[in-house]
This record gives sequence, C-alpha cells and structure tokens, in this order.
Amino acid sequence: MLRHVTRKAAGWLLMIAVATNATYFLASWFLDPRSNYQGLRPVRSEAQIDVALAPYNLDPRVPLVDRWWDWLTSVVLRFDWGKSPTGVSVNGEIGYRSLVSAELVVLATVLSVVVGVALGVHTASRQYGWADRVSQAVSIVVFNIPTSVAALAVVFVAIWLNQHAGLHFLYVAGENSPDVHGLLPTIGDRLLHLILPTLTLTLMGYVGYHLTQRSLLLDTINADFVRTAQATGLTRAQAIRRHALRTALIPTATSVAFSVPAIFTGAIITETIFGWNGMGRYFVQTISKNDVHGTVATAAFAAALTAIGAILADIATVFLDPRVRVS
Amino acid sequence: MTSDLATGAPTPSPLGQVPEAALLPIPRDKRRLGLGRLYLRRFLRNRLAVVGVAIFLLLVLFSAFGDVFTGYSYSDADFAALTQPPSSAHWFGTNQGGNDIYASAVHGLQRSLAIALSVSVLTLVLAAVIGSGAAYFGGRVEKATLAVIHFLLIVPSFLILALVSHRLAGDWRVLIVVLTAFGWMSTARVIWSVSTSLRERDYVTAAEFMGVRPLRIIVRHIIPNLGSLLIVNLTLGVVATVLSETALSFLGFGVQTPDVSLGTMLADGAGTVTSAPWLFAFPAGLVVLLTVSMTFIGDGLRDALDPTSVTGAAGGRR
Repeated sequence: MLRHVTRKAAGWLLMIAVATNATYFLASWFLDPRSNYQGLRPVRSEAQIDVALAPYNLDPRVPLVDRWWDWLTSVVLRFDWGKSPTGVSVNGEIGYRSLVSAELVVLATVLSVVVGVALGVHTASRQYGWADRVSQAVSIVVFNIPTSVAALAVVFVAIWLNQHAGLHFLYVAGENSPDVHGLLPTIGDRLLHLILPTLTLTLMGYVGYHLTQRSLLLDTINADFVRTAQATGLTRAQAIRRHALRTALIPTATSVAFSVPAIFTGAIITETIFGWNGMGRYFVQTISKNDVHGTVATAAFAAALTAIGAILADIATVFLDPRVRVS
Repeated sequence: MTSDLATGAPTPSPLGQVPEAALLPIPRDKRRLGLGRLYLRRFLRNRLAVVGVAIFLLLVLFSAFGDVFTGYSYSDADFAALTQPPSSAHWFGTNQGGNDIYASAVHGLQRSLAIALSVSVLTLVLAAVIGSGAAYFGGRVEKATLAVIHFLLIVPSFLILALVSHRLAGDWRVLIVVLTAFGWMSTARVIWSVSTSLRERDYVTAAEFMGVRPLRIIVRHIIPNLGSLLIVNLTLGVVATVLSETALSFLGFGVQTPDVSLGTMLADGAGTVTSAPWLFAFPAGLVVLLTVSMTFIGDGLRDALDPTSVTGAAGGRR
C-alpha cells in the first residue's frame, strides 16, 4: 500500500512541476508587466520601464528562457516565488492567503462529499419516494445555477435574515473581524465568517456527488451479492451500507480528485463576492495587474490542492477496493 | 466540457446509456411510424422537455426581437435615471450608469446565447474528431491523446482560461475560440470510450478491407454512429459554456465593457444585492432559465433517442 501511494504521489509531483512551468510560459506570453508603469506620471520611456522591471526578473529584453531558469532555480533552491512588477514579494502574499483558501476549499470539499454521498445513499435506497423526487428536482436546478448567482443569492438571503430575524452572526464580507483578540474569540469569529462562503461552495459541490452516488448505488443495490448478504441475516440497511455502498463508493472516491479544481474555481468567485483575502481573489488581482510570478504561484497552489485531493482519493481507493490492495 | 468546472463536482455522465441499437437504421414500413416521428413522439411524452423547449424558444425570441419593445439601446445612458427601480419607462430598471436593464438583458442574452451555441458546436466537432480519431488509430496515438486529455482535465484549466482570455478578450469572438480550445477534453473522453467499441464493428472492418482511408472511415462510419450521444452532449455543452462564460465575465476576464453579457450584468449587480436587487435579479433569472431549459431538453432528447430508456421504450411500440 505504501509503495502504491508513493508511486502515485511521485506522479502527481511531476504533474505539478509540469503544470507550474507551463503556466510560467503562458503567463509570460499573455501578461504584460510593463502595463503597471505605463499609466504613471511623469511618463516613462520603454527603456526606463524595462530598467524598472529588471530587478524583479521581468525585464522583457532578457530572453524568456533565461528568466525562466532564474525563476526556477530560486523556487527550487530557496522556495522564493519571485516579486510582483511593483516589487511586492509573492511569498509574503501567499503565506497567509493560502491558509485562508485551504481552509475554505478543504471544508467545502469534505462537506460536499459527506452531504452529497449521504443524500445519494438515502435517496437511492428509497427510490421514487418523496424525498428522492424533491431532492432530485432541487439538485437538478442547483446543478444549473452559476456560482456567482448562488453566492449572490446567499448574500441576499443572509442580509434579509440579519435584518428581519434579528440574526447578526452571518457575515457577508471578509474572513475575520479586525478587533478580535485572544485565541477562542478569534477561532469563533473565523468560524462565523466561514459559514456563508462554505455554504455557497458546498451548495455548488454536493450536487454532483448526490446525482452520481445515487445512480451508482442504484446500479449495485439490486446486485446478487447484496441479496446474498441479506439472506445471511443482515438487515437491508446493513447490507446496503456494508456491501452495496462499498462498491459504489469507489468511483466517487476517484472523482474527488477531479472535483478539486472545480471547487477552487468556485472559490475564486466566492472569495471575490465575500471579500476574502484568499488565493482565489489573489489570482484575479494578479492577472488584472499582469503579475506573472503571482499568477504562477496561484496555479501551483491549485495544482497542489488537486494533487493532495488525488492522493487522498488514492488512499481511500486502497481501503475500499480489495483489487488494489492485492496488487 | 467545463460543467464540472463551474459546479464543483463530477458531472453525471450520459455514458452507459448509449443507444447502440437506436443507431441501426430501422427499415421503413408505411404502416409504422417513421424514425423521426417516433423520436418526436417520445420527446413530446417528456413533459419537462416540452417545457424546456418552450422556455428556450421564448428566450431566443426575447433575445432576437426583445429590443423592438424598447426605445433604449444597451449602450444608451439615461442620466436622468441612475439606479432606478423598474418603472414604465425602464421595464427592468436602470444601473449606476443609467443603462436600461431591459435593453442590456436583451443584448446580454444575445451575446451569451451566441457564445454558448457556437462554443458547444465547435467543442463537439473538435471532441468528436479527436475522441473517435484516438479510438480508431489506437496504439501510440491513442495513448498520447489520452495523456493530453487527462493532463488538461487535471490542470486548473479555468486559471489558464482566465489568463489567456484576459489578454485577448473584450472581443466575444476571441472568447469563443479560447473557450473551445479549453473545453473539448471531457466530451472527447466520453466519445473516445464509446468509439473504442465502434472500432471493432464489422462495417468498420469491411470499410478497411475495401481500402477506405482512415479519415473517411472516421467521418463517414464512426462519427454518424455516435449521433445521439453527440446531440445530447450538445445540450450539456450549452449549459457548461453558459456557466463558464458567466464565471469569466463576472470576474472581468470574459466579455468586457462596453460590451454586455449576462456575466457582466451579474458583476454589475454584485455590489448592490440589497439596495438595487433588480440589477442582479433579471440577468440571474435569465441565466438560470437558459441552463435549466437546456438540461430539460437534453434529458428529453436522451429519452427520445435511447431505446433502453424506460419512458421511451414504453411508448415506442404500437
């Protein structure tokens, strides 16, 4: 098992490296760091702008391959992700932001999987019952709502609740309040700020798991081995949980890896709407400011999240699927 | 394509319901229903699908002829009415710049529809050629294609999409190209997995023995036999494209001012959800109507074209 996971992890590490370097070249081609200086007064000449960019390894006169090599060596040797076109260190920005985003993405992923799978199992074992029909209808509509619309609707409802029901713990802006001190109040404050963005992301994420888990379980629920298990004296619920669900969970476990990029995309929009200073919002800002190094760092972060999701999915598969354990 | 990208979870795939038998030509018999009539009849039996078609047609009519009913254009600014709620002069109200929301909604829907329809057709063509090509040639070509597909599926493609379209966009036609370039992978994968079984069919082998060129075999023999899968994927592609176009434009990387799409209108209304809810409510309603109607249509098409589906089989025989 350890060998299996190590081999997979090595593959993912390679994938992160390739993706990050590819993003570096794409970002260098498509972003123009000089635009940060072109609007300044007094007007600067092209040569002056190039000189200003040179200390940040963004000088357009240096061949791209040389800039790339400098960037790569500094990342590999010193874990220094470079500077923005105006000289702000990328490392200083991403340290705090990646924690904020990871908090949001991990929590939303876990909740989506738990809620989606639970709902899928519940509805599949009661196919065409009222709960099945209602949740199916809701999920199909939610599946088609853009994240931005869902997030704004959540904001709308939360503000309405705050005003009319006298609730004042639903925060629609920021990841923490400025004047909170002490360990416990800080944790409480952060959790309260987490509620709405996590709710939005979970709403967007659970649907896929619900619909796929329901159809996967329906495929196995009437299989012979489940009936046999029931014949040995297990109740129907036990037979479904221990035998049918175990088989039906394997494809879901693998799909978690593929859903992390989607959750991160959702986080970009959610963080923008809820005013969170996370990686998603940072990504929007870096692209708007033509910040090559910041953009690449965000892409690397997203790739790393995907890889972590995939490795966890691999481990889950090993536990669920006896065929993997044997080989 | 990017449907899972925008929603955060795996798409329930239409795979596994591929109606192989439906693809074989049924001998025409005067006393029986024609194939087209049969499909139509099955489609009409699905009530939600009919509702979907009705909504979709209304949306198309609205986007095409909606501006007949208003004197304003989406680019006109009425400085006497800034951020006004819906009234008789401005049916859907106005935004901070005095633009008429009704006129903007007509134009924005037009843009979003044009982008969604052309991207889903283009991605489908690209995915069909690449997917079935990989399956037909097999061997190294297949392995290399699959590696590329898997890599692009895992890479945070939305980030690359934003990166590329930020520089090139503002122009919605460029956005079509970019969305197509990064949107074909998951459809191609589905088409590949179905085509691998078509590759072994007798008619493909027969064509090979007769010396038909590979490209011709793919275009004449493999792709037509994927017909129903492709049609269903077309509707799903529209949904996925609308979702990613909205997301990109919302963040300012897709359609950009002065042009207007449903995504930019949502971004406009984002800051004033409670003080001016009409700014966000109308485009949001249109987006949701568009995607939900397309999903219903796709569902109905699947039922109509798939003989193994329960609703279709029950009424298919007389």
